[in-house]
Amino acid sequence: MFELSSYQQSIEKCSSCKFCQATCPVFKEDLLETHNANARLALIQAGLLEKKLPLSQRFYEVLDRCLLCTTCASACPAKIPIEEVIISARFQIRKDEPKTALEKFKRRFMEKRGLGELLGKIGALASQIGLMPADFPKPANKPFSSTRAGIIPAEKEKRARVIYFVGCATNAFYPETAEDVVSVLTKNRIEVLIPEGMVCCGLPALADGDLELARELVQKNVQALSQISADALVTDCSSCGMVLKTKLSKILPENHPLKPSAELISGRVFEVTDYLNQKRLLNNPSELSVNYTYHIPCHRGWSPGLRDAPRALLSRIPKANLIEMASPENCCGAGGFFFYKFRDLSRNIRSHKIQDILKTKAEIVITQCPACRSYLSSALKEHKFMHPISLLARAYKI
Amino acid sequence: MDSLGKDLNALVGEGKVKTDPVDLYAYSSDAIRYFVEHNPDAVVLPETTEDVSKVLNYAYHQTIPITPRGAGSGLAGGCVPIKGGIVLDMKRMNKILEINCSNLTARVEAGVALARFHQAVEKQGLFYPPDPQSLEVCTLGANVATRAGGPRGVKYGTTSNYVLGLEVVLSDGEVIRAGGICVKQSVGYDLTHLFTGSEGTLGVITKINLRLLPLPKARITGLIICESVDFGAKLISELIARGIIPAKLEFLHKGAIGLMNSCLANKIPLTGEAYLLFELDGGEKAVEENADNLKAVCEESSALELRMVPDQKEAESYWQARTNLNPILGAIFKRMINEDVTVPRDKIPEMFKAVEEISKNLGITIGMSGHGGDGNIHPVILMSQVSPELVKKADRAVEEIIKAGLGLGGTISGEHGIGLHKANFLTWELGERQVELFKQIKKVFDPKGIMNPGKIWRWEE
Repeated sequence: MFELSSYQQSIEKCSSCKFCQATCPVFKEDLLETHNANARLALIQAGLLEKKLPLSQRFYEVLDRCLLCTTCASACPAKIPIEEVIISARFQIRKDEPKTALEKFKRRFMEKRGLGELLGKIGALASQIGLMPADFPKPANKPFSSTRAGIIPAEKEKRARVIYFVGCATNAFYPETAEDVVSVLTKNRIEVLIPEGMVCCGLPALADGDLELARELVQKNVQALSQISADALVTDCSSCGMVLKTKLSKILPENHPLKPSAELISGRVFEVTDYLNQKRLLNNPSELSVNYTYHIPCHRGWSPGLRDAPRALLSRIPKANLIEMASPENCCGAGGFFFYKFRDLSRNIRSHKIQDILKTKAEIVITQCPACRSYLSSALKEHKFMHPISLLARAYKI
Repeated sequence: MDSLGKDLNALVGEGKVKTDPVDLYAYSSDAIRYFVEHNPDAVVLPETTEDVSKVLNYAYHQTIPITPRGAGSGLAGGCVPIKGGIVLDMKRMNKILEINCSNLTARVEAGVALARFHQAVEKQGLFYPPDPQSLEVCTLGANVATRAGGPRGVKYGTTSNYVLGLEVVLSDGEVIRAGGICVKQSVGYDLTHLFTGSEGTLGVITKINLRLLPLPKARITGLIICESVDFGAKLISELIARGIIPAKLEFLHKGAIGLMNSCLANKIPLTGEAYLLFELDGGEKAVEENADNLKAVCEESSALELRMVPDQKEAESYWQARTNLNPILGAIFKRMINEDVTVPRDKIPEMFKAVEEISKNLGITIGMSGHGGDGNIHPVILMSQVSPELVKKADRAVEEIIKAGLGLGGTISGEHGIGLHKANFLTWELGERQVELFKQIKKVFDPKGIMNPGKIWRWEE
């Protein structure tokens, strides 16, 4: 998959009903139909498949101006995997192009799961001399992977054993989230295994249309993961989860020997709050007098439980008060590295979300996506942003 | 940028004008791309009536075609710029100007999306019934321009029943206000309702005054499972005859239910041949009473099953699945032709029979799932492949469906409008003299013939 020709039939399923106009955060900003999923499909068909429309800077821009948020695909009555078509089109366009400096940097980032301690040092230096790019998060001093690996036994008799996939962003920017995930799981008598040799899930590579890199990364991950037996594979990051659950086998080339393993792995992937909610909390959290609101990440369609699990889990904390924001599922504008390329557009999308958050007057915002968290927190310095598991960890006084 | 683009930029400002081929292509069709596709020379996204006025004044003097556009979700080719020129994308004129609870009216700009308007009025305990199935995206201005309607037509009529007044920019750029905001009006020719349904051929609708109703206190969805198409069709007429008027009354064929099941958590059993999906609304007592009466009719006529759906979430999922039906069909079939023939409600069984005959005689698949309760049954010709013979057969089927509908005292369009799709059949319904009057009326409003040229009737080159 991800070869554009294999999506020809999917594209033809589009009857141009235009229902996607109600979903696309990019379209909603300027209401120009070119910036809607339906037009993107029609343009890909005309420009790249039928070759009746000349490719131009504007054509490339329209394809790049997609957050890959998947909201359109989730609502599409024809169930067209629109984000996969966009990724395939980007791949077709870029496959022979030399990599830019940013892409080369990203490659190292993905291969090293956030560049390890090096990124921390670069980040510290860049902050000191005021060279941190706008809206970029500051890397942690020590990435999670340098402090933890292997088996972390459950407190008391174990109920289950899970592999914990730590994504690049959590690893490099939010190691405390990963610590909290480990603590909360083990406290609930779940053994946690953090495998060595993990690399990036591959989503940033896909977003760039760099299918070759995505394949390399997925192969490494699948190879390592297929050696380990566990009841489930959990992730704290909704985007890693989406790739692991729905794209793993598709990213591998046709007839690749690892495809069956990839499918097996995908079959047991869970978003961590959903997993924990299904397993039920064993320990009652103690009270925590806070007001919090919940931003639901865009990459939620792969996990039916993702949307409501944090609400269910955190409702167990006495005195913790959830104040729902308007449209909690609306996009924050980050879209991985999208915000770096389309700064004004992303900030405009973010501005609505900021208003919705401010109206709740909550002091804590929870979300399961590190990109949302970082991008929103750079605009709302007074608020505390955290993963839902971290709020639970605080109530457990971990 | 070419001179047209430069001129338009100078008139309305940058950011509102697009002339790149990529953007022009995005505006080359509506929701039936294979039917007709034609690029405009420019797209303008006006933000004010003044913007529209400036563009029209310019186009008038340069004799450039103007095609107004809402969401582009139409099914009749009405917003396709077949003569090129300028597409006026009205979606940025999207302010809800007033919702007046004491007068039961609203004032809106033409580009407001219908679903957003529904939410806004319902929040205040008010109700705007028209519900074309593209309601999440379609715009009120385009609804007025096509007299759009949907399932609620059976009880509440279509958009035109709610239009009280319009602000319209005429072809030379002058702005007029037709009608007003009073629920009674008797002042000369009713230009408000001449522009309503005029599909952009007389002027550009920029603002609308709409009539509202109080929001019904109660509503309940239900499903009647019928052993045959004929049984279902007769049951519709029977319900209407007994004075049981649901807010929505949809006729769905077994095949359609199968497709809807693909997006339902609670699948509908495929035990019948035809299904009536309905919603009763009104005061709590009235809904209860109607439900009892409906139950009695079902029992008397021995319908296979009547199941009420009291859970509001489940009911909504049924209606969402119904909304998705057309695009789902579009995904399965290479091509489909949505007919919009509407017949008097006592003729529904005969119309179904006629369509079945046509399908059988021509050997072509025709889906029959439509609004039923208002006689707007939407036969849809479905082609799993496109061959010259099949296209010919489909054209024949369209003609015969229209003839059958007209023969039963029906009309060629209930809610989609004429656009390009049905232009060939206009004289069949109206006769030469009436179409001649249409042309004379158009000349008065649009002497240069720039307003959405090529639409409603067949234009000779």
